[in-house]
Formats: sequence, C-alpha cells, structure tokens
Amino acid sequence: MTPNAASTSSGPSRRSFLASTAVATAAVAGGMALLTACGGSDSRSGEGTTSGKAADKLLPAYVASTVAKPDLPSKNGSSAGFTSKVDLAALQASVPKKLGTGAPLKIMSPLWGTPPKDGCAYYKAVDAAAGTNVTWQNQDGNTYAQKLGAVLASSSIPDMVVVPSWILVSNKLPSAVNAKFMDLGPYLAGDRVKKYPNLAAIPSDSWRMSIFGGALRGIPMPSAPASFIMPYYRKDIFDRKGYSVPKSADEFLSWAKDATSAKAKVYACGDMSWVSGSIFGAAPGWNIDADGKLRYGIERPEYLEALEWTRKLFDAGVVHPDDKARTGDAGQRFTAGQILVFNSDSSAWYTKTAEQAHANPDFRIEAMDIFGADGGNPTLYASAPATIWSMIRKGASKATVENALAAADFAAAPYGTKERMLVDYGVEGTHYTVKNGVPVKTDQGNSEVINAWTMLAAPAPYFAHPDFPEIARKQAEWQQRMGAFMKKTSTYGMNIVEPTRYASLSSQFEQLQIDYVRGNKKLSDVQAAISTWRSSGGDKLRDWYKELLDKNGSGN
Amino acid sequence: MSLTARSRPDGARPPGAVEEPTVAAATAGTKVRAPRRTSEAGKVPWRIRLRRDRALILMTLPVIVLLLLFNYVPLLGNIVAFQDYDPYVSSNGVTAILHSPWVGVEQFSRMLDDPLFWDAAKNTLVLFVLQLVFFFPIPIALALLINSVIRPRVRAVAQAIMYLPHFFSWVLVVTVFQQVLGGAGIVAQTLENHGWSGFDLMTNSSLFKYLVIAEAVWKDAGWGIIVFLAALAAVSTDLYEAAAMDGAGRWRRMWHVTLPALRPVVALLLVLRVGDALSVGFEQFLLQRDAVGAGASEVLDTYVWNMGIKSGDFSYAAAVGLAKGLIGVCLVLGANKFAHLLGEQGVYQK
Repeated sequence: MTPNAASTSSGPSRRSFLASTAVATAAVAGGMALLTACGGSDSRSGEGTTSGKAADKLLPAYVASTVAKPDLPSKNGSSAGFTSKVDLAALQASVPKKLGTGAPLKIMSPLWGTPPKDGCAYYKAVDAAAGTNVTWQNQDGNTYAQKLGAVLASSSIPDMVVVPSWILVSNKLPSAVNAKFMDLGPYLAGDRVKKYPNLAAIPSDSWRMSIFGGALRGIPMPSAPASFIMPYYRKDIFDRKGYSVPKSADEFLSWAKDATSAKAKVYACGDMSWVSGSIFGAAPGWNIDADGKLRYGIERPEYLEALEWTRKLFDAGVVHPDDKARTGDAGQRFTAGQILVFNSDSSAWYTKTAEQAHANPDFRIEAMDIFGADGGNPTLYASAPATIWSMIRKGASKATVENALAAADFAAAPYGTKERMLVDYGVEGTHYTVKNGVPVKTDQGNSEVINAWTMLAAPAPYFAHPDFPEIARKQAEWQQRMGAFMKKTSTYGMNIVEPTRYASLSSQFEQLQIDYVRGNKKLSDVQAAISTWRSSGGDKLRDWYKELLDKNGSGN
Repeated sequence: MSLTARSRPDGARPPGAVEEPTVAAATAGTKVRAPRRTSEAGKVPWRIRLRRDRALILMTLPVIVLLLLFNYVPLLGNIVAFQDYDPYVSSNGVTAILHSPWVGVEQFSRMLDDPLFWDAAKNTLVLFVLQLVFFFPIPIALALLINSVIRPRVRAVAQAIMYLPHFFSWVLVVTVFQQVLGGAGIVAQTLENHGWSGFDLMTNSSLFKYLVIAEAVWKDAGWGIIVFLAALAAVSTDLYEAAAMDGAGRWRRMWHVTLPALRPVVALLLVLRVGDALSVGFEQFLLQRDAVGAGASEVLDTYVWNMGIKSGDFSYAAAVGLAKGLIGVCLVLGANKFAHLLGEQGVYQK
C-alpha cells in the first residue's frame, strides 16, 4: 500500500468552505439544490452547449494515473477512498521535472478565511517545487461573485482566474467567460495534454463540463456525481438518547418533535431545504420526465412537496431559531449540540471530526442515508462532474499559459505523490510534523496551507484522511450506497449557456424558497411565481431546451 | 415663539433676538457670503477675486478634485439606465457603454410595471415615516436630558456610553439583537423557563419595521445628539438667567429659551432627513432579509443591490437608482421650501 500523502481537500471537499460560510451559494453549487439554474447567457456567441462528437474533439486525452490504487475504488459515481496507512517516506513524484519556467503569473482565487501573506513559506515552497512564480490575488469567497464581476469588467484581468459555477447563475457572467478567457484547446486538446500528466488524469466528464461557448476554456476541479448533500446527525447523542435514525419524511418530523426541547436549547435540526429535494426525488434543472415531458425543476410537484415538508419542520418549531433567522453558523450549532441534524457536503464529516477530536472526544458525526419521502428508496440526481474551473485570460503570452498550466498540473497531482503532500500539507517541520506516521499541521501550517493552490485544479475525486482513515471509508461507502439510487437528468454533464434574455428568469426563486419555508410567503405565492415564470419566458426557454436536446441528445 | 419668526435671514431682525447665537453657529457660512454676493460680487472683477481668494481656493482644491473624481464622474455612469448594458461586451466596463444597445426608457417602464419595485418603495416609505416619528425626536430628548446634567463627569460618562453603539457594525448589532430577542435568545429562554414558549421577535415579519427602528435607536440615537448638544452649548446662559429673573420655571425656560434655540437645527436636520427619505438603511435590511422575508425587508437600496450587483442587471438597477435620486432631489427642494414657509433657513437660500 503506497498511498501516502494526506489530503483533506479533494475535489468535492472544496465546496465545504462554502458549506460553512456561504450557505446560500453553496446550495446552488451542490447538485442537490432544489433549484439548479443551468448557466447563463450570451447573446453574441456561445449560447447552447457542445456535446457528443463535437465535444470529444475538444477534449484532452485521458491517461489514468497509476501512482496509488485506492482501497475503495469509485463505484456508483462515488469518490474513491484511501483508507490504509500512508508511507510518507515512499512518496512518488507525478511529474519528473518542473514544468514551470518561473515567468511571473497572477492568479485570482476565492479564499475562505484569512489569506496567507504573499511570499509566505508555503507559497515559496510550492512555487519552488512547481517552477512557478505566482502572485496571488485572493478574494473573500463569500463576495467573490461581485469581485469577479468587477474585475472582468475592468481591463486588467489576472492571468489565471478561478471561476465557480454558482456565480454564473442568473447574471451576465457567462458571456464574460466566453469573452475574456482563452481557448485552451491548442495547449490541451487530444495528446497535447500529455505534457501535463496530472491534467491528463482528470476524467473526461469533468473536461466536458469545461467547454464554454464551443471551446475548452476551463481547467476543471472534478467532482463525483454522487456528491450529494449529506444529512448529518449526532451519532453520540442519538445513541445516548436511544433515538433511531428516521427512515421517512413523516418519521423524521415526529422524531424531530420528540427531540426538540426549547427549554434545554436543543432543536432537532437546521434548515433542511438542501436535502429535502433529494428526499422527495425532485429532479434539479431541466429533465425529460417519465411521461416524456420536458420540465424545469420548479415545475415538478416534487419541488413543492419538498418545500412543504421543509415548511412543516419550521412550523413545528423543530428548526433552531437562528437557522430560521439565518444567522450564525449551523455547523457550530451542530458541534455545540444545539441542533442534532444539519445538512452539508461530504467534507463536513471529516472537518467536524477533526475539529472536535480533542475538545469533545465523545463527538460522533455520521451521515444518515437519504430516505425516500414515503420510506422507500430515494431517487437522487447526479451532480455536475465539475463546478469550479480555473481559466486563463485571453491574450496571455505562451509563457504565461504554460506556467499557468504547470501550476494547475501541480495542483492536480494525485494522492500519494510528493506534489499532493506539498500542496495539502506544506513543508515537513514547518507546516506539519509527523506523529505515529500521520502528518499533523502546525499552527503555521493551519494559517498558510489553506485553499489557494487547491483551487486551481484537482485530481479525480477521492477521500483520504490519514489521521481519520475510517472517515474516508465511511464517506466513500455512503456515496456508493446512495449512488445506487442515482439518476441523471437529460441535461447532465452538459455545460449549457442559456440565451441572455432568460438570465434573470429564475432569480427570484432562491429568495422565494427561503421565505416560503419560513412562513413569510404563501404556497400561492410560489405557485404564482411558477406560472409567472412560465408565461414570462419559461415556456420559450423550454422550446429552446427541447431544440438543444434534440440536437445534442439527452444526457441521461 | 413669535419672537423667533423670520422670513429671510437678511430681513428685519425681530427685537430681543433670542436665537441669535444659534443662528450664528448654524449658518455662519450663509451669513458671511450673503452680503458679499449682493454688495461686492457685481463689482469686483473675477480675476481680482481669484487672486484675493487664492489661499482659500487652493485649500479647497484637493477636496473638489476628490469630489469630482469620486462623486461626479461616476454620475455619468447613470447613462446605462437607458441601455441594455453588458459590462463584458468590450475590453473594459467603460468602453462597454459604447457597445451596449440603447433601449430608451424601457428600463423605467419595466420598473413601473414591477410589483417587487413597488413593494420595495412601499416598505421604504413606511420605514421613513416610522423613523421620522420614532427615531427623529429621540436624540433631541436625549440632548435636553444630557444638557440638564450639571456634573461634567457624569455627563461625560453618559455621553460616552450613548455614543458607543454607533461604532458597532450592523452585523454586530443584528447579532446582539438575535442573542437577546431571537427565538433562542435570552428573553425567549427566560420566558421558556416561566412557561411561555414561542417568543421570537427576530423572525416576525409584521413587527419587523418596529424592530429595525429599535435597532437604529439603540445604535445611533446617542450619536445623533451631538449636533443638538452643540446648538444647546451656544445658548447664552444670560438668557436663562434673565428668564429665571423674570420668574420662569424650569419648564418655561425650556419652552421659551432652549427649544427656540434648537429650532433652526431641527429644521435643518429635518430637511436633510426628508431629502434622504428614500435611504432608510441598507446593511441592516440586507442582513435580516432572510429572517423575515424579502416581502417585509426589501427597501429601495437593497432592491438596487439585488438587481444590480447580485443579479448583474446593471441597467435596470441604474434606472431604479436614478429614479430614487430624482425623487430625493424633489423631496429636498420641497422640504426646503416648506422650511422657508415656516420661517426657517433650511439647507440653502436663493
């Protein structure tokens, strides 16, 4: 067993930063959000999508990585899992020589937390190893969309820019992607990618999601299709109180009433909106349903059922009042035992475990299996194979592009390599120390080794936590179990740019959902909004999608 | 009261000018400039005036440049309200204005047809009226109260405590309120222990308007007393002594000396406030939007932010912002006129 270096930040886990900090936006990023708008707008060029053979021509060749074999290979669309002991002494190099040439490179990336100083030991070490010379322009992840909008409207765009998909929803940014970022085809298409072995090992589905306006413009951060939002529960408290894990929507509600005690400051759950769509089998976005009709997410009865159930939870007073007011951090209420169930993405399993290990040794977090509303198996819909890209500005010199690709290649090094270890943990002795064969970050490591490099690209999705290998196993197994119930929507895996005139059509639903489940809007308001959506462009957008699917074939 | 009534500053001064010191403090600029304009401006050539005032002009120049650069030049950007502006259509956002299609007043007619805009406008006006009724008088009352405290130490401490919340950010204020008045806050917890459950003021959309007033009072009422205290400090103690000699009690002194002294300042601030009527706050509402729903919390400023910055519909947001600005100008003019009718100076004079 050679898998070595440790990682807490695999592809899907990057969204975790959102899960704790930018709740609303992450809901859009996660595949299981109730409402997944499908991209945005470009009135001049690049409307629609590129799929099938036309897309295959644009894609880089796929050369799987052979560095480390996962203990739990990907199954049912899950991430792979590495669960065995790592041998830090036997780390391999994924790329024999430095690809960077040291040309200066400016990169703008979202960052959740306090950005490390320019020229800190971590940045220096990674630059030295990759042969790059990066100047970071880290921006607060919570307001990244606004920052990016302004930067793209200026005439000084950084050489490389990280673009998350959730900021492309209902605004004019998708057109900016086509206008401002270059076609990477000349550097990556076909066999050309083989110069960058780690990028070549990124799955083709993720690359396909990186085609914008008929050209390969993004370097993807791959995400497993089975990365559903997880309903976490406090295993330790469940065991102590003798609760059994609910198996249907009604069971959940009655358990929640039982478990809530306002007097003791304990509430059953936080806002369950994210996961309710999965429970009720609501397909996100555009899909040709079983009856052969093409529908959008908000038009399905399951959408309203999911909302109504969530509202019942709020009405019953089992949701923490701070979640109702949407203040503070639900993750903290969960670890404090003020709520017993909360939704987040797969990464919270590890981050909460690690965070509580010393302060609260009894703390146990588990994800409950998503149940179907009536108690049977759920119907889950696959999430997009890539939701974050790094892009290179149009007009960048060849040297700049090659250095940017070198940086991305370094960041995409697979588990078990020296590169991965350096990106995720920094330098031994400075950023981490090894205790019992397990790397542990030092204070300097915790403040410098945060998500800047990891945003550029990532290897095929995996879970690996050398300090808590059991968690990696549980995460992978949960995804495999749930992945068995997974379906794909008709638009799955396509990066679709909608015509600009429909850009703001769905923009009011996010707020409407928030307001409805909290009792600040009536069901009739939601229904009225749905019919307004239809009449003010939704039906026309349906025709547009029908044509698109006829032309490109269905994604499922 | 009739003692203080004047129609114009250069008009005949009433005898026994009770308010003299205050007027001097509040409108010193006008008083100095007014005679010059009438007596000298016509005669002294422009060039000579320039040379004479060189030092003053040089001193104001940096501020004027900054004002032009950051307040007036960006105003030109309002032109996108008549376009379907796409900032990414050209190499930068400014030249993109040249390439975006013109749509005339379409954005404005869209605004008039938009029920969400009218909701925001209604909320804004309701909040303005409530702020005027419940918030505006409080700093005056506090200033009178502070003014009546004689011991300087007590006074300084009281003032410091009252100013302090002003320096809290809205995030902090809302969090503090959530911890006290929220569903899991101190009040709710105390009531829960006494058998009353379900108290949650922070997510009650019908009481939201009063909640935001309460928050604003807590945060800014103390700060608002500064200008009134300055006005009160300018009242000559002779007046009080004279009034006391004439046998005026505490209340009569307040009625005939203190309040008349405050009147011009109150009128000035009122005019300014009315002119700013459509700006009732921003962060405060954005932060509590989800707690009470957009229906109760959306005001014009958050609406502009949501449509423009968040949804990228810059042209529409600019149109709404422009309309708001125009209405604001009309309100300033109207309020100023009204102040003149009442015999006050208002913000400016012709």
